[in-house]
Amino acid sequence: MMIRRLMTYIAVLLFSVTVSKAEAATPSRYLNEVTVTARRPMKDIGVTKTVFDSTMLKENVANSMADVLAYNSSIFVKSYGRATLSTVAFRGTSPSHTQVTWNGMKINSPMLGMTDFSTIPSYFVDDASLLHGSSSLNEAGGGLGGLVKLATIPDMADGFNARYIQGIGSFKTFDEFLRLTYGSERWHLSTRVAYSSSPNDYKYVNHDKKLNIYDDNHNIIGQYYPTERNRSGAYKDLNILQEVYFSPSSREQLSLSAWYTHSNRELPLLTTDYGDEKEFENRQRENTFRGVISWRHTRSKWSSTINGGYIHTWMAYDYRRDVGNGELASMTRSRSLVNTVYGQANADFSPSRKWFFTAGLSAHQHFVRSIDKNIITTDGDNALLGYDKARIELSGSASAKWQPNERFGVSVLFLEDMYGTRWSPVIPALFVDGIITRTGNISFRASVSRNHKFPSLNDLYFLPGGNPNLRSEDGVNYDIGLSFDTGSGGAWGLSGGVTWFDSYINNWIIWLPTTKGFFSPRNIRQVHAYGVEVKANLTAQLWKGWLFDLNASYSHTPSINRGDPMSPADRSVGKQLPYVPLNSASFTGRLSWRGWSFLYKWCWYSRRYTMSSNDVAISGYLPDYFMNNISLEKGLSLRPLDLSLKFAVNNLFDEDYLSVLAHPMPGINFEFFIGITPKFHHKKTSELNY
Amino acid sequence: MRLRFKHIAIAGLLAVATASCMKWDYGNEEDFDTRASGLFIINEGNFQYGNASLSFYDPATGTVENNIFYRANGMKLGDVAQSMTIRDNKAWIVVNHSHVVFAINPDTYKEVGRIENLTSPRYIHFISDTKAYITQLWDNRIFIVDPSRYEITGYIQVPDMDMENGSTEQMVQFGRYVFVTCCSYQNRVLKIDTQTDRIVAELTVGLQPNSIVLDHNNKLWVLCDGGYEGSPQGFEAPTLHRIDAETFTEERRFSFKKGSNPAELNIDGSGLNIYWINNDIWKMAVNSDRLPVKPLIRNRSTIFYGLTVNPVNDEVYVADAIDYQQQGVIYRYTADGEQADSFYAGIIPGAFCWK
Repeated sequence: MMIRRLMTYIAVLLFSVTVSKAEAATPSRYLNEVTVTARRPMKDIGVTKTVFDSTMLKENVANSMADVLAYNSSIFVKSYGRATLSTVAFRGTSPSHTQVTWNGMKINSPMLGMTDFSTIPSYFVDDASLLHGSSSLNEAGGGLGGLVKLATIPDMADGFNARYIQGIGSFKTFDEFLRLTYGSERWHLSTRVAYSSSPNDYKYVNHDKKLNIYDDNHNIIGQYYPTERNRSGAYKDLNILQEVYFSPSSREQLSLSAWYTHSNRELPLLTTDYGDEKEFENRQRENTFRGVISWRHTRSKWSSTINGGYIHTWMAYDYRRDVGNGELASMTRSRSLVNTVYGQANADFSPSRKWFFTAGLSAHQHFVRSIDKNIITTDGDNALLGYDKARIELSGSASAKWQPNERFGVSVLFLEDMYGTRWSPVIPALFVDGIITRTGNISFRASVSRNHKFPSLNDLYFLPGGNPNLRSEDGVNYDIGLSFDTGSGGAWGLSGGVTWFDSYINNWIIWLPTTKGFFSPRNIRQVHAYGVEVKANLTAQLWKGWLFDLNASYSHTPSINRGDPMSPADRSVGKQLPYVPLNSASFTGRLSWRGWSFLYKWCWYSRRYTMSSNDVAISGYLPDYFMNNISLEKGLSLRPLDLSLKFAVNNLFDEDYLSVLAHPMPGINFEFFIGITPKFHHKKTSELNY
Repeated sequence: MRLRFKHIAIAGLLAVATASCMKWDYGNEEDFDTRASGLFIINEGNFQYGNASLSFYDPATGTVENNIFYRANGMKLGDVAQSMTIRDNKAWIVVNHSHVVFAINPDTYKEVGRIENLTSPRYIHFISDTKAYITQLWDNRIFIVDPSRYEITGYIQVPDMDMENGSTEQMVQFGRYVFVTCCSYQNRVLKIDTQTDRIVAELTVGLQPNSIVLDHNNKLWVLCDGGYEGSPQGFEAPTLHRIDAETFTEERRFSFKKGSNPAELNIDGSGLNIYWINNDIWKMAVNSDRLPVKPLIRNRSTIFYGLTVNPVNDEVYVADAIDYQQQGVIYRYTADGEQADSFYAGIIPGAFCWK
């Protein structure tokens, strides 16, 4: 055990000290060596960014974006299991401090402030990146931890193309994916459909409860930890994505993306639940439509983009039980309806090679109706418990970027948000970067900014407990980092980077119980989150035809409560926030040879305290865990079609682990995928990008 | 160079391949034999985290043992422990969101039985050796159970209540009748005939009656929190009601300031004084004609969450859940309100039970 751990830490250290590639997609295929000369993009001056390439996003049709982020970055993914709530948090902040955009439109729930990444199939995302800390302000305000930027891009293949993938896995899990595309000089169309279903009833040994063995007089004569199945964990998720791209000229592009999600998921029972699953139903359903239409106009010195969008979400939560007659009676029947209208205009102007200006204005108008309960009043009438609110969210930003020479750049950004009738102070941000030496392309970057996050609508208005007097959370963020990028032609390439960050967040909002029996949010904490992020990418051609691609990341994220004690007995001040791992790391290694591809994925989260006082007590912490997944894939090129066969093993060492207290995770499980790509008779300009 | 990277790659893969194995400390069972009288503290734990726990405090020695259910049984108590009642050398712990009531030996803390598959149990009240009532949240039925066989044997259907707004809470008994408060989005006290298991009368009180006690004079005292602002059921000043148990009629009604949060009504061993939390700790003689103007114990820059009074010497115990994510602290005060001791219990100490 100790040896294994030691080797793990050595591995982490090994890759940490070399590492980092704060930017950059990782090529998965090797091309002949070419010489490329390019300026660093002025838009990204001083930006700390992690880009996910298509091999990460399209690795497995069963993956959600939560899986991609868990294994390809070191941000913390808090998951209750497949097809259950999965949130992500940067740098020791909370999930609501992570802003998420899809094709430019913010998709955080205006009710909750956060995003469930388990509902985003990774095969529906073509372009994904993380903007860490201050860098998120280049896209939107409110991302005290950072921003996840998701987008679709047109497939460049000409003519009609199709691909179908089916996955069959443990626990009767089925994953289906179909993509149809059509491309011509001016038009590109794409339709994607994904459907996943599973009873998700994996077995596990429940160490939180015991079953009793009784004698005839009902005396307990023995006890044992039962092997149980994950109860009430079934899901059926359908996603459809339609894209239309029209380019009347090389300088204009009109794009339309429409994404529909239908989700029907049970909520798994806790390990400590002694209810009969047949007598209870705990189910969440969701219908969401997201649509964005975008017009981009490009000239030699300027470009502009106009976006319009709409989100409709209907969510239902039902908690019912059988009252003895076989019919389920409703105990909780929550319904929420969210309609969001979105508009955005951005413009870039570059009068010379040294200057680059950007300006943007966006608006999100939310209409939210949330009904939590149907009650009978004291007068005998029926009344609904909930809220019905509308809120406009405006945001304006402007930036000036200056690059006096090839080696140095500076960027200044100002942003202001308005939520409802409340204005944030003007949020400034300063970014600097430069090349220290051409040898190894060693460069530095730094940034400093303020940031500001308004409470969510549930924070303000949820009944019971919403607190309309909440103040906004605000913070200051500092970043400084180094990166390098070196290699030897097509033989090998190594890039990496290290970033130190330091942030202070005031008025942190947490929900606390009240003496009336419900929870209510309050501005409680001041939090100091700081640490180091390290990333690396290594690509190499080990032998002829053998390609090796390795990505590693590591984060050290102390996130410390610096607020005043809540009472004289408070032992949480100066302690790590609950459910924020101090250390996390991920690693993926891919070995390819003649159509064969072997992938190893690994991630590690250090101990997570569940108590604010960081007690190492029963239920006071979750032990660190390592997760190991492997897959082997073979591509076959037949005359009428291309065929790919993949076999994946998740939780390779059958770890008994928890991500959240009382929520068991699956042990070793398997899934087999078959991908079919018919060969239509036309000339392809490039391979279909899946 | 190529060779070097090959070695690094292989070494790296080997290293991560062996990186596994989490260490869980599945508890070894401990043997307890605590014959001393004392105070059980029922720690709710955090909703959905299954980290409820049980503590025991011995006032004579000032010692506390935490997590005793887990340590004695090698399993967790469950999700949101709500209340505890001792009868005939069995302690019954109601674990709300685990849908279970555990019976344990109050000396060894070992489980002796359990009643499963309850809807959302809140309190248990014993009628006899073979009959007890268990109130529920989100259910319009009070469950009848046979504690000798740990079985659900029947239900008492509550009129004018459906599952969605179902809420029956605390119980006290006077003679053959049990009186039950209906708390969440309700304003009633029910009177149940324990011989027929039927509701024979109900009385309208203030909004959300959260606790009930019976005093020395056979008067019921019911504390109502008044609801909250924005509630479709209404929002009013909290009230304290004195009800004659014999006639089931209201005799007095005391009003608190609107927006205040009175809760945790308790009574001392003599039945002559009642206590409650309303930011501070308040004490009132049962024959008083008005609410007290000065608290027994002033707030200590925190939120008092739980309250009990030692039935033997009237010492007052107050729970402070602090930030609800760490071990709460229990303050022990003399009958005059002077602090005598303090100790840490579990997460969200919300209820007490005297042994």
